[in-house]
Amino acid sequence: MDLSPRPPDQPDETSRGSSSGARARRRWLPVIILSLLGVGGIVIVTQFLTSAIDYYCNVDEIGVREGCETTSRLRVQGTVEQNSLKKTETKTRFVMTFNDKSIDVVYSGDPGGVFQECIAVVAHGRMVEGVFESNRIEVKHSNEYVEKNTERFEASGSAACSLAQG
Amino acid sequence: MSQLVTSTSATGTRATRVLGLLAILVMLWVVIGGLVFTPQDVVQGESVRIMYVHVPSAWIAYLAFILTAVASASWLIGKKHSMGFDRFAGASAEVGVMFMAITLVTGSLWGRLTWGEFWQWDPRLTTTAFLFVTYLGYLAVRRLEGSAEQRARRSAIIALLAVLEIPLVHFSVVIWRSLHQGATVLNPSGDVKLDDLMLFTLFSGVVGFTLVFFWLVLHRQRTMLLLDVVNRRGLDTAIANRRAEGSTN
Repeated sequence: MDLSPRPPDQPDETSRGSSSGARARRRWLPVIILSLLGVGGIVIVTQFLTSAIDYYCNVDEIGVREGCETTSRLRVQGTVEQNSLKKTETKTRFVMTFNDKSIDVVYSGDPGGVFQECIAVVAHGRMVEGVFESNRIEVKHSNEYVEKNTERFEASGSAACSLAQG
Repeated sequence: MSQLVTSTSATGTRATRVLGLLAILVMLWVVIGGLVFTPQDVVQGESVRIMYVHVPSAWIAYLAFILTAVASASWLIGKKHSMGFDRFAGASAEVGVMFMAITLVTGSLWGRLTWGEFWQWDPRLTTTAFLFVTYLGYLAVRRLEGSAEQRARRSAIIALLAVLEIPLVHFSVVIWRSLHQGATVLNPSGDVKLDDLMLFTLFSGVVGFTLVFFWLVLHRQRTMLLLDVVNRRGLDTAIANRRAEGSTN
């Protein structure tokens, strides 16, 4: 077998031009494919997946929006209404409001953490005879961060209510 | 090249030492400012302090993955296919994965204190976890068998695909309804709802983490260069040994 080094090929002008064109095409092909994939992905995510991925239904959408049927287990988002919170040893009752619609919520236990009046929450549970029976509550914090002001807090009775009242 | 291998301070230069010192100074302020000088949040109380680590680490992870993609594209499109681009891409991704892990851990701790749960499969958390796993996969691909060229080509294509997830993660709280709150600083309205000192400390965190990021990447890519040199030398030695065997037969 002849393994001696071969002289480099000397292509004519025509073939050199076409090979550099092919190289340029090969170089940009991944960019074009990636761009098409990106555009396709954006269309799928923003147009077709929205209702499937949404984490919760708002209070005013219960029984109205697709996926928020009263017959199934739901995650419902709304704000704990001021002066509606009542706690007993085993239950926590409050009214949850969103877009001028309200539902009564009863939770088995004490939600704890930063749960309070005027704060947005997501309650997991079912509608039973007009009352939302929840066994899990998550506090949905807003994107607002404000220094704790003791005087304002004491006047409103709840940190979240003092924030809501400005 | 041999100087690089034998020198005891092979990955450090005067510039990286200055960078490291600056990073320490800024991070010192972030620790003291974040733990002592900044106020409690009206709703979250003390747990707001997690933000000074959580948010900068998330942003730096985004930055790292974007730089990985830029370096990968430079390798793919560039005529010389400089391996420096590939090493920078790999180093940036490694450090980015570390910052993403910090984001996930600090976010889980904050979630337990605020939401009442360490983890929920809401759109922001799910897409972030997906991004993290994607870049773990990217790092795994970099360790596959093959030449440095093969490694660079495979990983560059993955990096260019993976970076498309970043807008999805960032805008997940806008596109879908999420338990995670919307962006406070980089939000579509441009209205920053953050106390002044909190904002200053947050940006100090971003600056400090950025300095730490570049310090780590510079050292890591130089370590990768040394590893490539060692591998190449190993190959040269193996070829020389094989030739020696051939000549004695």
